[in-house]
Amino acid sequence: MSAIAIASSTNTHTAKRHKPFPWVPVTLCTVALLYLALFLFIPLATVFFEAFKKGVGFYFNAITEADTLSAIRLTLIAAAISVPLNLIFGIAAAWAIAKFDFHGKSLLITLIDLPFSVSPVISGLIYVLVFGLQGWLGPWLDANNIKIIFAVPGIVLATIFVTFPFVARELIPLMQAQGRDEEEAAAVLGASGWQTLWYVTLPNVKWGLLYGVILCNARAMGEFGAVSVVSGHVRGLTNTLPLHVEILYNEYAFAAAFATASLLAGLAVVTLVVKVIIEHRFLKETK
Amino acid sequence: MTIQVVDVSKRFGTFDALNGVSLDIAPGELVALLGPSGSGKTTLLRVIAGLEQPDSGRVLFNGEDTTDTRVQEREVGFVFQHYALFRHMTIFENVAFGLRVRPRATRPGEKEIQRKVHELLGLVQLDWLHDRYPHQLSGGQRQRIALARALAIEPKVLLLDEPFGALDAKVRKELRRWLRRLHDEINLTSVFVTHDQEEALEVADRVVVVNHGKIEQVGTPDHVYDHPATPFVYQFLGNVNRFEGRIHRGVAHIGGGEVLAPDHADAHEARGTAYVRPHDIDIADAPDVSTVEATLDHAVKIGAMVRLELSRRDNGDFVEVELTRERYDSLQVSEGNVVYLRPRRARVFIDDKPADGAAVKLNSNSKLGSDAKTPHAA
Repeated sequence: MSAIAIASSTNTHTAKRHKPFPWVPVTLCTVALLYLALFLFIPLATVFFEAFKKGVGFYFNAITEADTLSAIRLTLIAAAISVPLNLIFGIAAAWAIAKFDFHGKSLLITLIDLPFSVSPVISGLIYVLVFGLQGWLGPWLDANNIKIIFAVPGIVLATIFVTFPFVARELIPLMQAQGRDEEEAAAVLGASGWQTLWYVTLPNVKWGLLYGVILCNARAMGEFGAVSVVSGHVRGLTNTLPLHVEILYNEYAFAAAFATASLLAGLAVVTLVVKVIIEHRFLKETK
Repeated sequence: MTIQVVDVSKRFGTFDALNGVSLDIAPGELVALLGPSGSGKTTLLRVIAGLEQPDSGRVLFNGEDTTDTRVQEREVGFVFQHYALFRHMTIFENVAFGLRVRPRATRPGEKEIQRKVHELLGLVQLDWLHDRYPHQLSGGQRQRIALARALAIEPKVLLLDEPFGALDAKVRKELRRWLRRLHDEINLTSVFVTHDQEEALEVADRVVVVNHGKIEQVGTPDHVYDHPATPFVYQFLGNVNRFEGRIHRGVAHIGGGEVLAPDHADAHEARGTAYVRPHDIDIADAPDVSTVEATLDHAVKIGAMVRLELSRRDNGDFVEVELTRERYDSLQVSEGNVVYLRPRRARVFIDDKPADGAAVKLNSNSKLGSDAKTPHAA
C-alpha cells in the first residue's frame, strides 16, 4: 500500500517536471520567429521582389550585362584560388595543431583567428600598405611592372586573408576530439605520414572538412570590405559581385542592383541547404 | 625475439616518467608491467614500441639496437587501451590495413590479404563480424579485433597497453584468460601494461612492478607476491597490514608483541615496519611475547573465508585478518571481544627516513578497509 502511494506521488512529481512553465517555450519560439522574420525573411524576400520588379526579361538582362558577367567571373576566380589554398592550409594547420606538440602552438591558433578579429577593411588596408605604390614593396613591384593593388592579385590576396580561418577552425576541434590513437595505430602498422593522412585522418573529418569548405566559399564570394579597399572599383576589371552591387545601387540602378544581389542571396540559400545536409549526414555517421 | 631495455630515461617537461630503467625479456615470454597510474609503465611500453623516443638509453630487439628505428619499421604489434580501431573502416579493412599500406614490393595480393584477414578473424573468433563497423561491436569484441589487426603484420613482439582497462569486470576476466591461451598458442614475445594486480598475477609469466619511473621488482607472480622486495611492492600486491615499531638485534617490537626479523640482526634501535598479509595472522588463545592485542570490530563471512576487521588496543590502528570459516568457528569470539593477534610470517623493512609521517597517516587511513591495497604513490 505504501509502495503504491510512493509510486503515485513520484508520478505526479515527474508529470509536473515535464512542463513547469508551459508559456516559456511558446514565448521563446515567438520571439525567435519574429526576430528571424524581421531581420532575415523580409530582407531576403525584398531582394528577390525588387530584383524581379521590372520583369523577368529585365532581370536576365541585368545579370547578363557585360560588367555583371565580368564581376561574376572575378568572384569565381577569387573563390577558385582562395578556397583550395585555404583547404590545404586548413588541413595542414589543423593536423599540426591537433596531432603534434610543438612550441608556439597557441600562437599559431591565435594567428589563425586573426582574420576573425580584425576588421576586413583593416586587412585590405594592410595589403595596400605593403603592396601599394606608397607601400613597402610598391616601388620594387612598380619597377618590375607587377600590379597587385587595384588588380586581380590584390583581390585574391585579400580574399585568402579574410577566409583562411574557416577550414582550420572547423577541423581543429574535430581532430582534437578524435585524439591521436588512430594515427598512432596506423604508424605502428607501418603506414607512412601521407598514408595516415589520406586513409585515416581525412576520412574521419570529411564532413567537417566539407562544411568548412562551404563556409569558406560563401565568405570568399561574399567578401566586401577587404576586397573593396584593394580593388579600386574598376568596372569590368576589378569589380567582384558584392562591389558591383554597391556601384549599381549608388548609381540608382536599383532593379539591376537587386538582380545582382539576388545571385549572392541565392548563393547564401544554397550554402545553407548544403550545410544542413552535411550536418545531417555528419550526425548520422557519428551516432 | 628478446627485448632488452637498457638504462632508459624519459622526461615530460619536469616530470620524470622513466628513470634509468633496464629490463630483459626472454623470447616467448608474457610479461606484465604493473604499477599505479603515473608510474611510467605505459611510457616504458611506448618506448619499446617506438611511439616515444627515450631521452637516453637504448632498446634492443634480439640484440639489435632499435632505438633509432622508426615506429613504422619496428614491426611491433600494439594494442591500445581504447582499441583505436579505424572508425570509418569495416572490421575486415581494419585488420587488412597493415597489409594494404605496405610498399608495393612486399604487399601481398588481394587473394592473400583475404585469406590472411579471415584467418586472423577466425583466430579471434569474430569472422562473422567482418563487414561491420567498429561502433557496432561491443568493447570486448573491439579489443579482439584490435588484437587481430596488430597480429596481421606478423609482429616480432606484441605490446598491449591496458588492454582490458576499458572493459567491465566480467568481460575483462574472460578476455584475459583468452589472451593467456592465445599467447600459449602463438608464443609471441608479449608485454602488457596493467594497474590491476590480479590481472598481472593471473596472466603473466613474469611481473615487472613499476613505481615512480623505476622498476621496484621483477619476478614470477608467485615470487613477487610471496617475497616482495620493497614496502611498495608489498602494499601494491594484495592486502597487507603494517605494524610500525622498533627493530633491535633481529627482533621487531610492535605494539607489545615481538616479531623475528632475521634480516636485521645488526639493527640497533631502528624504526621499522613489519608487513603481514591478512592470511598470515592467527588468533592466539592467550597473550604472549609474540602477540598484539586488538578488538574485533567486524567479522565478515565471505564463502569459506572470514574476514576480521580489528583495531589495535595500543594505537587504534586497523588490522585485517583472514581465517578459514572452520578456524573462526573454533575460536568462539564475537564482535567487541579482545583477541590476541599472532603474525605467522612477517617481512620487516627499516624505515628510510626516521619519522615517516606519511606512513603513519596511511595506516590510519586504512580503516577504510581496502585501502591497504592502495600504494602510497597513487
